[in-house]
Amino acid sequence: MSPRFEATKAVTHLKLAFNADAAAIAIALAFAALIRLNVIHHIGW
Amino acid sequence: MPTPTAAPASRPRQLLALLPGTLLLFGIGLAGKLLESLGYTLRARHIYFPHIEYVLWAIILGLLISNVFTVPEIFRPGVATYELWLKLGIVLVGAKFVLGDVLHIGGMSLVLVFIELALSLTVMTFLGKFFGLPPKLTSLLAIGSSICGVTAIMAAQGAIEPDEEDTSTAIAAILTLGALALFTFPAIGHALHMGQQSYGIWTGLAVDNTAEATVTGALYGDVAGRYAVLAKTARSAFIGFVVLGYAIYWASQGKAAIVKNKPLFLWQKFPKFILGFVAISILATVGFFTAGQLTSLSNLSKWAFLPAFAGVGLRTQLRDLVNQGWRPILVGVLGEIFIALLTLGMVFAVYHHGGMQ
Repeated sequence: MSPRFEATKAVTHLKLAFNADAAAIAIALAFAALIRLNVIHHIGW
Repeated sequence: MPTPTAAPASRPRQLLALLPGTLLLFGIGLAGKLLESLGYTLRARHIYFPHIEYVLWAIILGLLISNVFTVPEIFRPGVATYELWLKLGIVLVGAKFVLGDVLHIGGMSLVLVFIELALSLTVMTFLGKFFGLPPKLTSLLAIGSSICGVTAIMAAQGAIEPDEEDTSTAIAAILTLGALALFTFPAIGHALHMGQQSYGIWTGLAVDNTAEATVTGALYGDVAGRYAVLAKTARSAFIGFVVLGYAIYWASQGKAAIVKNKPLFLWQKFPKFILGFVAISILATVGFFTAGQLTSLSNLSKWAFLPAFAGVGLRTQLRDLVNQGWRPILVGVLGEIFIALLTLGMVFAVYHHGGMQ
């Protein structure tokens, strides 16, 4: 039988040690506040 | 004699461990953007250079690094942060949608998602039985392909208590199918001359993983990428209900624990980043930001997606295509073809007969 378990070795290693949802919301709101308060004037692309 | 266990790393050390992989993600993403710019410059001077956008460059570079070389262990914790950058990008995309759009298109997507879920769960269950897959592997493949890929499978893992091997097989199959979608969906979209909005909604409804759905949308254009995120977000909102349904079923068969507190279960499985997306959208709708500030937030979203795209390439192992056995991948492929055709039909019905753009 083919070694099925090998497939997710990378996935099981790619597990964050913190809550990505909470961190994403916190960072987004922090940047939104900094942009709204004109601390950050412009972000280009 | 007891085996000594390693002490857990301190918080600053954990954060420091994220640095190499995070830098690798941003480095690959930036390299992709630079290669796109280099292409414009060289082609303007009539020097041949492939016409490839930064999204695809980031994925190609990630794929090359992870499949030609072995990513050293020191980079692995940081590479996992691609999930954070993806969610940050999605939350910030909320700035490009006024709440009316979110309610209108998101609401329409919810109806389409409901139909897609009901039919795809039924078809995947049938296919799993037809090809003789273990029942819980069938459940995992059905959950993964009908809602949101690996996240849904991981959410279901604790609820329906499958074998570890079934979980890993289902994840590998879903990741493989996501990789295939990256290259097939844009080609189909162009062949059918789909609009940015209809293509974006289609990919959001059909592609399993949030990361792959976002990339598949972005490969077609910025607008398509945003609508893919919106439709995918609506789809992800169902995750708790579907996993709860399967948990109740397997508990009734005596093969999983009974869910005692269902509202708490639904809240625990709900993807919270959706709340951030809605919050930013509300702030944009009530005029909290100027037009220039909204542009900055939208650009910040693109910067956040850049390392996430690199992460999609880095985590895709092409050798897994041949390592997982033919039956799960065949069930997955057949199921995905059904879901892609079903959602394509629904999108065409809405956008061509429903009078939308």
